[in-house]
Amino acid sequence: MAAQLTFARFAWKNLWRRRLRTLLTLGGIGMGIGAFVGLVGFSRSFAREWLRMYQSGGTDIAVVQQTFLNTSVDEAAGDTLRKLPTVARATPMILNLMDLTPEVNALAYGWKADSFEFDGLKIVAGRKFEDGKPEALLGELIASSLHKQPGDTIEIQGEKFTVCGIYHGGSALEAGAVILPIDQMQKLGSLQGKVTAFHVRLKPPPPGESPEHFLARAQHEIETALPGLRAVPAAERASNNQLVVMAQAVAWGTSSIALLIGILGIANTMAMSVFERTREIGILRALGWGQWRVICLIQAEAAVLGLAGGMVGLAAGWAALRVLARLPQTETIVSASFSWMLPIEALAIAVLAGLAAGALPAWRGAHLSPVEALRHD
Amino acid sequence: MTEPILEVRGLRRSYEGGRIQALRGVDLSIAAGEYIAISGPSGSGKSTLLQLLGGLDSPSEGEILLHGKPLGKAIGLDTYRAQHVGFIFQAFHLMPTLTALENVQVPMLGCTFNGFNRLKRAEELLGVMGIDYCVRQYPNQLSAGERQRVAIARALANNPEILLADEPTGNLDSENTARIMDVLHKLHTERGMTMIIVTHENEIAQAAPRHIRMRDGRIA
Repeated sequence: MAAQLTFARFAWKNLWRRRLRTLLTLGGIGMGIGAFVGLVGFSRSFAREWLRMYQSGGTDIAVVQQTFLNTSVDEAAGDTLRKLPTVARATPMILNLMDLTPEVNALAYGWKADSFEFDGLKIVAGRKFEDGKPEALLGELIASSLHKQPGDTIEIQGEKFTVCGIYHGGSALEAGAVILPIDQMQKLGSLQGKVTAFHVRLKPPPPGESPEHFLARAQHEIETALPGLRAVPAAERASNNQLVVMAQAVAWGTSSIALLIGILGIANTMAMSVFERTREIGILRALGWGQWRVICLIQAEAAVLGLAGGMVGLAAGWAALRVLARLPQTETIVSASFSWMLPIEALAIAVLAGLAAGALPAWRGAHLSPVEALRHD
Repeated sequence: MTEPILEVRGLRRSYEGGRIQALRGVDLSIAAGEYIAISGPSGSGKSTLLQLLGGLDSPSEGEILLHGKPLGKAIGLDTYRAQHVGFIFQAFHLMPTLTALENVQVPMLGCTFNGFNRLKRAEELLGVMGIDYCVRQYPNQLSAGERQRVAIARALANNPEILLADEPTGNLDSENTARIMDVLHKLHTERGMTMIIVTHENEIAQAAPRHIRMRDGRIA
């Protein structure tokens, strides 16, 4: 069967003529897209794990001071919260990042023994801790990393804690965390009377009121009752907390630099290609190709480069995420699941990067004089 | 008298701010279906005239009318090249990455033909040129005569009224020259195409019903 000539086929044949250069360019844009998929995927996975943690614990609202990692909320505020008509339960919590061994650090939570957040966990060995005692509950992942069983001891910031149990958590952040009695966390950090946040479970919305409206009303009620504190819905807190925002900023910053290198690679390839094919562009113009058709061909080549590089990067980024989800250093904060939006975004960015990189060479090629181009050696 | 398809009035083309005068005032009327050979020594302006007649370049002064309408004004040069003229070059100028069949489809890409019709027309034209046996071959796998016949098929792709040939046999041996000239004559007689050939070969120039000699940028 003879082949129909299409723009895409013509573009691909032009690219394939310089295989090594095309493959190197694909490597460049692939690196950029791979960095995007790996890093942004990592940061989104991190945000998703936070949301999963809130959802499994049944938290609707987190009450915090302006910054996330400040353990500066007065513990007494809990009494006011529990009296509010929209609030079913409010439990204090402390969050910190702690070194458990020189190699392993983990998120450490301070909870009350009667916290409703235990509803989202399943104790798989041992038992829950008791308030006031130097006891620690370990997530399955961290217990496995540290080779700890109930009854063993663990040293946290110079203090010895007895491992009272091991739990299975809904999110990687919980599975890789340590939970201590909140009073013990306050003692470790000399933070008596202070907590990081209150996690609030709301009552069911009254008949006729939408969950969204009820949530907004509860937020307003809490912020009015506790001036200076913010009531943040769980979903917003998951995606907007400082750790996630910082991870996202690093991910976007790093992948933008890698993408820029990839774009420069495509721009260089396209500029070289247009220069080398000056006479051919002249022939196309002589055969009646208008400037737009020449632009379309060169941009099709750039877009094909971007798309193919994007696919290479997608595979590399996906593989990197799978590796990160298995590495001891990162398994506690990232899952191997892959949001379907990420590949679409990555490929769209790759194609747009190709088009952006090809724009100038395409414009130059289209504006060549046919006669001058035909004379070009 | 047949209506002129092309009229050239006071055509001048200069370069480098007027220092080089390639054409110094050419007036010419070409009737539809005419077969014209243009000859002259190097630097006489014959190729410049052909480029202007083909809409590859714009004149410094004067105008070219297609069916009475000025080129570059009433008819865009891109449209003119795409729909009204076909070009044949001495060096063939085939795309090295495309097969013979694909090369013939190039002028039709982005035009009114759909993919299937493009393919059918390209196959038909290569058949007319007698080289349907080499549709899948690349230019570097073809002989010089075969390459020029692919180039002629490509020039005919959009069914132009006028065929412009710049030294079409310049790179061919005598056997292939005869074959190509035979193809061009047939196109003229069977399809009634207007044919303008630039050549330095006397035999080809003399064989044309109308022969224009150029000297120093003017018709001699």
